[in-house]
Amino acid sequence: MTAKVKSKKSTIESKKKPAETSKAKQSQSHQTHAEMKKHLACLLGDEQLVKEYSTVFQSAGIAVLELKNLASLKTSAKKITIAFELTLANSTEKQKNLQALDESLAIDIPIVTNAVTATVLSQAQHVTHKERLIGISAFPTLLENNVVEIAPSLYTSQASADAVKGFFTSMKKEIAIIEDAVGMVMPRILCQIINEALFAVQSDVANPKDIDTAMKLGTNYPHGPIEWGEKIGFKNIVAVLDALYNNHKEERYRVAPLLRQMAIAGRFWL
Amino acid sequence: MALSIGIVGAGTMGAGIAHVAALHKCSVALYDINEEVIRRGIERINFEMKKSVDKSKISEEEMKQAMGRIKKRTNINDLDTCDIIIEAVLEDLRVKKDLFKKLDQIAHHTTILATNTSSLSITSIASATKKPERVVGMHFFNPVHLMKLVEIVKGARTSDETVKRAMEVAHTIGKKTVLAKDTPGFIVNRIARPFYGEALRLLSEGVASFQDIDRIVKGSGGFKMGPFELMDLIGNDVNFAVTESVYEQMYHDPRFQPSPIQKQMVEAGLLGKKTKKGFYNYEEL
Repeated sequence: MTAKVKSKKSTIESKKKPAETSKAKQSQSHQTHAEMKKHLACLLGDEQLVKEYSTVFQSAGIAVLELKNLASLKTSAKKITIAFELTLANSTEKQKNLQALDESLAIDIPIVTNAVTATVLSQAQHVTHKERLIGISAFPTLLENNVVEIAPSLYTSQASADAVKGFFTSMKKEIAIIEDAVGMVMPRILCQIINEALFAVQSDVANPKDIDTAMKLGTNYPHGPIEWGEKIGFKNIVAVLDALYNNHKEERYRVAPLLRQMAIAGRFWL
Repeated sequence: MALSIGIVGAGTMGAGIAHVAALHKCSVALYDINEEVIRRGIERINFEMKKSVDKSKISEEEMKQAMGRIKKRTNINDLDTCDIIIEAVLEDLRVKKDLFKKLDQIAHHTTILATNTSSLSITSIASATKKPERVVGMHFFNPVHLMKLVEIVKGARTSDETVKRAMEVAHTIGKKTVLAKDTPGFIVNRIARPFYGEALRLLSEGVASFQDIDRIVKGSGGFKMGPFELMDLIGNDVNFAVTESVYEQMYHDPRFQPSPIQKQMVEAGLLGKKTKKGFYNYEEL
């Protein structure tokens, strides 16, 4: 074992002995069957993410309630089994949503919150039942794949973590438990790659099309960084990088000026 | 008439370039200062081509003809009539500059002089010649016979005509090209830096274990390999050297700052697959 740093929480799965894992899997698949019928996932926040989550959940057979306004929460609160607050960066809206969910939902209903630009711990300050709040790396294009990053805060209860794990297992996704940190894992790496690509375009290293081709053919990336950035939305990438910059206070995370312009323009302009 | 390609250096990259050039009907002059290195290079080409025959990617006849197009050369002066000479010797600026000075003297005045460097400045290498406008970067990727890409790198004084001809050569031997300005890391080695750098930062901050980071990058990002698996495959020494080189050339821009974790891996001799131990253990395999 040559790892220098071991995650304190690490993956629950990887710590289990093989025999236990298979037993756990068996009991889970039982649970899964029952749970699949009764789940109603409530989605609110970022429009693009609500749409992506809704599509993926529904194709896995999970009933979805897309909450357009908080007023309708009262009438449906009793039927909701898990809630997702997907706002990426607008902290005022996120705070309002989290408070409304915390006040309306029964205390054993987990609230999964987008924790890409703010830690779960900081978000937990807005709710009374802090133990049910747990973070997810909700970021465009990521949920189509099969691993979901989940971050518990210092307050998060094991019951909430288990419930979220059960939910994703029921839709045949794996979860990876990570520490509660701004940017989480995939959004942080991905945004830094896209930022570097925009720095390169800006200083005329190559044209955007050649950069996408080079990264796909030269190092097997699933998408070119610029086309990927366009799919994600440049404003979302800037939101993550700004959060990393503010959190670390390091030049390393400064946004490429061209990327900031693309974020305002809403699409790639060259 | 078939394109004639001279290759200087019969190591992994030189042999790989000879392999694809010969398969695409070019006449290849494979030069190395050491005859034993050429012999081993040709052996490797033979081995890789046989695998392609076994997989029915090429016929036995095609292989025989291709192998026949590769000529061993131990006298550099014999490369004088090549249309293009591609250099693939070790990544040392002094060595490459001396070599290009020599190539500039012996090569016909229309011959393109290309370097396969992945991290050194084309402009600097070209400065050793009297005709820097005919010097260009052709950065191939390992393994050359499988990786489709060649970065064509235009030095500060490289002519448009040279760039155009280097692209034609790459297309002739079945490669796709992108054009890059002569800047540290060109395209791929620059934009891929954060793939490793941020992963190492996440590890050093204790956000996740390296195994979980790899699992997330593959399972959530859709990448074929995780950063730690890839560092082990490339070799932590090689990856660290590229990172340091880009960092130095960028005058210590913090975006490119190397990781103490990686430095320690190198110092400990945990280089990855080639030493059977890196971030992961490969001993059982």
